[in-house]
Amino acid sequence: MRFASMLAVALTALAITACGGDESESGASGSGPIKVGAWFPLTGPVAASGIPQKEGATAAFEAMNAEGGINGRKFEYIAQDNAFDPQQTVQAARALVGEEEVVAIVAANGTAPSAAAFPYVLNQAKVPIINTYGGAADWYEPPRPLLFGYQTLYEDQGAAAGAWAAEDGHKNILVIRSDPAAFAAVAKYVEPGAKSADPSVSVDELVVKFQTTDYSPIAGQVKAKNPDAVVLILAFPEAAAYLKQAALQGLDIPAYGYAPTADEGLIKLGGQATEGFKAVSLNKPAMDPSPEMQEYRKALKQYAPDEQPSANSAAAYAAANSFAEVVKGIDGDVTAESIAKAFESAGPVETGILPPLKWDRENHLGTNQIQRVEVKGGKFVAVGDFTEPPPVVGN
Amino acid sequence: MDELLLSVISGISSGAVYGLVGLGLVIIYRSTDVMNFAIGTIALACMYLALSVHNAGIPLAFAILVGIAVCSLFGVGAREVLIRPLGPGALFSALVVTMGLSLIVEDVTRNIWGGEPRTFPALVEGTATISGATFTNQQLLVIPVAAVAMLGIAYMFKRTPLGSAMRAVAESSGTATLLGIKPQRVARVAWALGMGLAALGAAMLVPTVGLTIGGFAAILFRSFAGIFLGGLTSMYGAVIGGVIVGILDNLAATYVSASLRDTFVFSLVILVLLVRPQGLFGEKSFARV
Repeated sequence: MRFASMLAVALTALAITACGGDESESGASGSGPIKVGAWFPLTGPVAASGIPQKEGATAAFEAMNAEGGINGRKFEYIAQDNAFDPQQTVQAARALVGEEEVVAIVAANGTAPSAAAFPYVLNQAKVPIINTYGGAADWYEPPRPLLFGYQTLYEDQGAAAGAWAAEDGHKNILVIRSDPAAFAAVAKYVEPGAKSADPSVSVDELVVKFQTTDYSPIAGQVKAKNPDAVVLILAFPEAAAYLKQAALQGLDIPAYGYAPTADEGLIKLGGQATEGFKAVSLNKPAMDPSPEMQEYRKALKQYAPDEQPSANSAAAYAAANSFAEVVKGIDGDVTAESIAKAFESAGPVETGILPPLKWDRENHLGTNQIQRVEVKGGKFVAVGDFTEPPPVVGN
Repeated sequence: MDELLLSVISGISSGAVYGLVGLGLVIIYRSTDVMNFAIGTIALACMYLALSVHNAGIPLAFAILVGIAVCSLFGVGAREVLIRPLGPGALFSALVVTMGLSLIVEDVTRNIWGGEPRTFPALVEGTATISGATFTNQQLLVIPVAAVAMLGIAYMFKRTPLGSAMRAVAESSGTATLLGIKPQRVARVAWALGMGLAALGAAMLVPTVGLTIGGFAAILFRSFAGIFLGGLTSMYGAVIGGVIVGILDNLAATYVSASLRDTFVFSLVILVLLVRPQGLFGEKSFARV
């Protein structure tokens, strides 16, 4: 009887140890999938950006899994809807990190929503956040231990757009921006960017209520101000609304934009009015003929057949691929810790879609380069290769 | 001068849309005491349907009529299934139900048609230039459509047995029943009519702004401002209030600040309501104590 009891205890202990040591459930080691997650606005007004990004990242992981994954392990990518809401993002983070036990957050969306999750994900759970679509200067200055990005800061994008307008010879530039602080922060750098190219440029600003649908008064004001060029710091549906109204009122004023306006949705909504629109993008245009973009379009067609190629999905696809490229180099268990360590000396990673990415201890933002694009023949085409914005941010 | 004309005429056009949606809200509210927060998302979803029907080869005008008809029927269905079981007087519950319905419809719309923005063809192509300001014919079409709707609904309410029945039910459902009027039938007609008008408003708007999920939120917001400004008890007020909001919105954007247009407009609405709580065209109501 006593022996039977001891045997029962021993067997029970063995069973508990076996269960507790099953780290493959958390994607950390062993042969199980590498569990990673992300939050996207899949509902709400920003869903038009969030859904393509989710599909792009998912397509990347599915394509990798079809090739056997990395180092013999496949990815399990879990996407949660945050509706672009900070509180919902925290809930999504808790579900991903606390319940699903992901080892990293990869290619998630949103600056303010993601920042809301930092205390829990980065500080409490110590899970790295990699390659978020979004970002702010204070995310990387100083570098946060578990936070790594790929997206050129919005501020640099604004400076780059301003510089391009000035390089094209425009002396009197009007910045049209939405009123929330996030847009103001970007618009602030258009002028220094423009002046870095041509100190004689003058820059004015016109602030528009976010989610404005009727741009006729705005077009009227632009007509009255008569700038040589406009720089649009707006969400792409509003940029499209402005371009349509400007075309309707006969305003032949060149327009420039930052990365969120370099979206195929702009062309879809704005139609012919978007011809000649120039923007700085994070990546090569979705219909670029390069082999890497063809690979991306093939993966999208296979794993997200309802999704049209777009800058958003291409960026997320490349963000996921660059993450996998770095993780491939991990020798040993793929854990939150080993991923963060790998990113501290990673790159250069060449996706052919994003600029070359390189991270180190001091620099957690993989790139600050942008790709100039222009609408020609109803699609975005690349203008030159990746280029650096003027060094005005932080000065 | 053309800047003023541009602001005013495009404001009237936008305001006519707010007015049509507002008219739908008022009809439903007056007949059933329900403020239908789902009116915008349902109307927009029906325009996605109309676009699909059109893309299947049906002429645009018929496709839009299909969208309007489906919107009306959906409205009746929603009322019968979700609102009616709440019973009379459950105003807050009904409000919450319509809010929830709005979220559900938005989600379903996204799942069916995707999150990508879509263009919607115009019913009338071409542009017109008035004193240097150019408008699309689609923008200008909204104005007579809203005017006809407003006059038609006002006539119906004042001169037809159905309209009398709806006014009677709005006054007192119990008394109307005693007079042989069927309040539930009146409620169904009100929901069908209200939802149909909202769908008509959406059909007038989407060729200009495109179809985007969640894209009707700002419109609904202004429609509410219009009906409170015009008066919850007035059909004329719903449309004229919407038009006033549209004009003020654009004038504020042009001459005050494009970022403060909402502040300006709603401050004015609040001021009017402080002076005249029943709105510009509403009737004061008294309760015997």
